[in-house]
Amino acid sequence: MTVTQERYRQGMSYDAYKAQMTRNADRFAANEQAVVLSPDDVAFFASLTPPLYTLVIAEDWCGDVIANLPILGRLAEASGTIDIRVFLRDQNLDLIDQYLKEGKFRSIPVFVFFDHNFRELGHWIERPTSWTQKLNDFRNELFQREPALKDFSPDTSPAQLPEEARNVLSQARATFRTENQAFANQAVVSEIRAIIEASLASKERSA
Amino acid sequence: MSRPVKVSITYCASCGYEPQALSLTAALLNTFTYDLSSVELIPWEDGSFDVVINGDLVHSMYREGGFPENETIIQAVRERLAD
Repeated sequence: MTVTQERYRQGMSYDAYKAQMTRNADRFAANEQAVVLSPDDVAFFASLTPPLYTLVIAEDWCGDVIANLPILGRLAEASGTIDIRVFLRDQNLDLIDQYLKEGKFRSIPVFVFFDHNFRELGHWIERPTSWTQKLNDFRNELFQREPALKDFSPDTSPAQLPEEARNVLSQARATFRTENQAFANQAVVSEIRAIIEASLASKERSA
Repeated sequence: MSRPVKVSITYCASCGYEPQALSLTAALLNTFTYDLSSVELIPWEDGSFDVVINGDLVHSMYREGGFPENETIIQAVRERLAD
């Protein structure tokens, strides 16, 4: 089953999505303000034949949505070529089930890109791969150096850690995320851009 | 007398997994009441939903995929109470 343009138009605009948020609106707005886009990325997206239809699946309780959807919003605003329609995951299971992470997880956000003729270009799910890797590397390093954690494997479930160790892990992760937000934001833009570039290059080769 | 059983549930709060965590908690408390020493709820992130009984990881969303059936966890508690 593919997403039709008619279905796409049933989604909320980016501003309408923000207006209906019942939680995390402050964090969303702060993340939106913190986004710094490179002129090169803005120029790339501005050069696309408009509109780049972008279907978003989201929920306002999801941390990855709060972190990553504002980046797309800022990119749309700066480029002038991106049209966003947002669908709430739990009210649109037929959509999310077409874009499962690893074929089984209903992870969000999901960004699905369509060209101006509504041909699907590709999709992006949850968070950048490079950011996931960076988080994993940090976790491994933390478990090696932190006295409260070094007796445990980095794979240990938080439920198996003593409370003190769990608190150390939680605090260290929060600090790491704050200090590396710019890296994570740029990784989102780079991955989205790579999806579009690869799809356009593929279409050119087959033309 | 069976040894006390403690159940710890780590759930991804930013994924909206509270309903599943609370459902499992209610099922455990309704079934065992005073036979449990405690049920610990740990708000976490990263898409996790882990259940640990007396230190043993009996369900991991990463390992098993998805949420556990409440009855599966209840049975795991029964086995430990019978030890």
